[in-house]
Amino acid sequence: MNAMFEKTFPRRDFLKGAGALVVGFTLANSMRASDAAAMEIGPYGPPVDQVDSWLAIGEDGRATLFTGCCELGTGSSTGLMQIMAEELDVAFDRVRLVGPDTSRTPDQFVSSGSRTISAHSRPIRQAAAEARAALVELAAKRLGVPAEQLATANGVVSVKSDPAKKVTYAELVGGKQFSVKVTGKVKPKATNEYKIVGKSVRRVDIPEKVFGTFTYMQDVKVEGMLHGRIVRPPAHGASVVSIDESSVAHIPGLVKVVREHDLIGVVCKREEQAIAAAQALKITWSNWADLPDMKDLHSTLHNLPEYAEGYPKDAPGGVLTKSGDVEAGLTTAAKVVRATYLSPFNHHGSIGPSCAVADVRADGTTLYCGTQTPYGTREAVAKFMGLPNERVRLIYTEASGCYGQNGADDVTIDAIVLSRAVGKPVRVQWSRADENGWEAYKAARISECVGGLDQNGKIVSWQARTFGLSGYSRPEYHEPKHGGEPGSLVTAQLAGWDKPGLEEGFSGAAGNFEPVYEDMPNKRVVFTYLGPTSHRQGPLRIRVGSMRGVGSPDNIFVAECFMDELAAAAGMDPIEFRLKHQPRPRGVAVLKAAAQLAKWETRPSHSKPSSGDIAYGRGVAMLGSNTDTNVAGIFEVAVNKKTGVVQVQRAVIAQDCGLVVNPDAVKNQIEGGIIQSISRALKEEVTFDRSRVTSLDWSTYPIITFNEIPDAIDIVLVDRSDLPPMRVGEPASESVWPGVANAVYDAIGVRLRQLPLTPARVLAGLAGNA
Amino acid sequence: MATTKTLRVNGKAVTATVDDPATPLLYVLRNDAGLHGPRFGCGLGQCGSCTVHINGEPVRSCTRPLSSVGARDEIVTLEGLGTKEKPHKLQTAFIEEQAVQCGYCINGMIMQAAAFLKKNPKPSVPEIKTAMQNNLCRCGTHMRIVRAIKRASEA
Repeated sequence: MNAMFEKTFPRRDFLKGAGALVVGFTLANSMRASDAAAMEIGPYGPPVDQVDSWLAIGEDGRATLFTGCCELGTGSSTGLMQIMAEELDVAFDRVRLVGPDTSRTPDQFVSSGSRTISAHSRPIRQAAAEARAALVELAAKRLGVPAEQLATANGVVSVKSDPAKKVTYAELVGGKQFSVKVTGKVKPKATNEYKIVGKSVRRVDIPEKVFGTFTYMQDVKVEGMLHGRIVRPPAHGASVVSIDESSVAHIPGLVKVVREHDLIGVVCKREEQAIAAAQALKITWSNWADLPDMKDLHSTLHNLPEYAEGYPKDAPGGVLTKSGDVEAGLTTAAKVVRATYLSPFNHHGSIGPSCAVADVRADGTTLYCGTQTPYGTREAVAKFMGLPNERVRLIYTEASGCYGQNGADDVTIDAIVLSRAVGKPVRVQWSRADENGWEAYKAARISECVGGLDQNGKIVSWQARTFGLSGYSRPEYHEPKHGGEPGSLVTAQLAGWDKPGLEEGFSGAAGNFEPVYEDMPNKRVVFTYLGPTSHRQGPLRIRVGSMRGVGSPDNIFVAECFMDELAAAAGMDPIEFRLKHQPRPRGVAVLKAAAQLAKWETRPSHSKPSSGDIAYGRGVAMLGSNTDTNVAGIFEVAVNKKTGVVQVQRAVIAQDCGLVVNPDAVKNQIEGGIIQSISRALKEEVTFDRSRVTSLDWSTYPIITFNEIPDAIDIVLVDRSDLPPMRVGEPASESVWPGVANAVYDAIGVRLRQLPLTPARVLAGLAGNA
Repeated sequence: MATTKTLRVNGKAVTATVDDPATPLLYVLRNDAGLHGPRFGCGLGQCGSCTVHINGEPVRSCTRPLSSVGARDEIVTLEGLGTKEKPHKLQTAFIEEQAVQCGYCINGMIMQAAAFLKKNPKPSVPEIKTAMQNNLCRCGTHMRIVRAIKRASEA
């Protein structure tokens, strides 16, 4: 491995050098699954053949956590450190964290789905609890006092009856090496003992970010590094016919024009030279224009073949729910309501386009990137290169916020191809157009609903079907299925890799499509998978992948808008109507908490027509399950009937996400999710012509600006610290699309069923052309 | 022809040799001066994450050609605005309000706001929003950013 790329604090040296107490997880993986389940660790511990140490307490008394979880700019690493400090009983500032690096941290699979705290923290908590127990045992011997008579606080073990009799963790470790195996027998602290978990500890990453001293992926520099840029086809399916290298001969600093199948790049000494070379390089591409007309997108989706191979056994596609007899219910219904909902492709829209640095050498490859799947991407890259995994070291480096899978994995192949071609380390920075043009988008959707109401306004039938694209995007499945397939990456496809990838879309895209209401006798909910697609493969050459919520935002948009349509048809208040159909108890609690905070006025929607230009409305949406976060969101909007502009004035969120590790960080995530989702609800739509995506910058893909944000986002976190911590980053954001659409209906009395709710669509709706 | 130019960045001389005088200032700041504050976001002057001050004015360094910057111009980046030891009041306020998520846009937010507060030291919330209108944040940290600017203006 290239020694020059060792960051400070190399793990193995640390462990072999000075004294330390190291907690390994080897034993945990030989435990029976039932033991792991009893420890609430789940499948999130490192595999037995991986790095076996999890956390270490040094002879200075400082604790270091080695985690495979990626900090994606959400503050999750601060939360992990709180959990670890809490269980160890050390001060928060005595804890540090080493992020993913395939040569020194365990594999914790995909950092996605808001699961770093809700799931991946569990083995960390257990390891810390075991470390504390081991230190107490050492202290018992040292002090000659039984362990049960000892207490721990702030890195010190003391005798309960004689606190002057004590020993520090640092003294216990001394210069010696202790190896602790996780037994699963140590019980972590009870919630009511928490002193650090539950506090709004300030995030550890923020100071460096405001002083300009933070090193993002885009800032990584290594010795001898050259600069690369890539040149993508002008059409998704186009291939290289010829390259005129003389077109860049005049560019100073040009090192090489690199071609691997249809992956074309330039390498230069300086960054601006690489930009100039990429712009100047003349390539003749084949013609390709097989995308549908954009206005026919949803009819195209409707007519695409279903996923050809059938669903994997455990895929949540197909018929999600079937109970009773929907048809029979509809024949007895007093009222039948039908609705079709449409949504567009969305960009992730990271402010910083993707970047990677690769150093391909005969003795091993080092790769810096901002992935969510350090081990899966390492494996994909190794396969792509024809190398065993151990010959590739991937060092995770935080990049711009991703909100799902942006180009962070794809750019690794670009960097590998260019570095391999020139024999030097190469940094590849995607342009804004590279990112928007070739990332994996949130899938467009068409969804159809039929519902029946009896004479008392009760739902007798609920039928919902949605057509969801699956795509080649992530190189690794969610746990416990391991992946590492280059075929998922569009860059590998461009480079000629012809083996299939993993079809993203089976790991949650259907989530939250089933209604949250218990009292629905006849129900049929169907999720039809289409595709899989990529720019280079599949029946619709537009690549789709995971975006914040992975399918849930669309599913909840459909389910909760349709619930609102039925409430209106029943002439009932939207919240009363929801309560009448029996959400689960935690759902009832958040719905009532949101209504109270919003001072919800009980009345049917829509509101009375206003005489002025501005119409005001409010809408609600809810989501959740018994084992996951429950959210109710209420949104107040002002709709300008002359311009069609919708402004969300206030959002009220009630959230029950179990134990809250860091309340302010949770609120930060909720606020962010609300604002980003308002932007998606009102403004965002990927555009394309017959050859390619055309929303390649911020003028063609506008997002929310300061003048468009709500005046207030009011949040109540329902106290359920008796429950384990649950997902935070995604759920609240998923209430926004239906909540805002329902509020617009309340304001103007016209139901808009196609996202985004642009001024043109609002005006068309008001003119009777929705 | 390669040209060598010396700039004043955060009070220090920075010398860079570029082939094309139209090279955007951003690349010289990042690659020659080794700074991390100014960030590449769009290269089109649309998002604001590359913002620096030239003689106190906020400038999008991704579209500002090196040829337009003179040896006497005072360039200040986020690193020069304040440090951990001597923070600018906006940097303190951003920490106090925890007004960061991924933080990629925050350079632009602080640099834009710092120039704005010099001209309008006691702004209203609507004035802050209008001043920040052309800086994009994707994480949705806007509420906190507005609060942090307001807090700094009251510090």
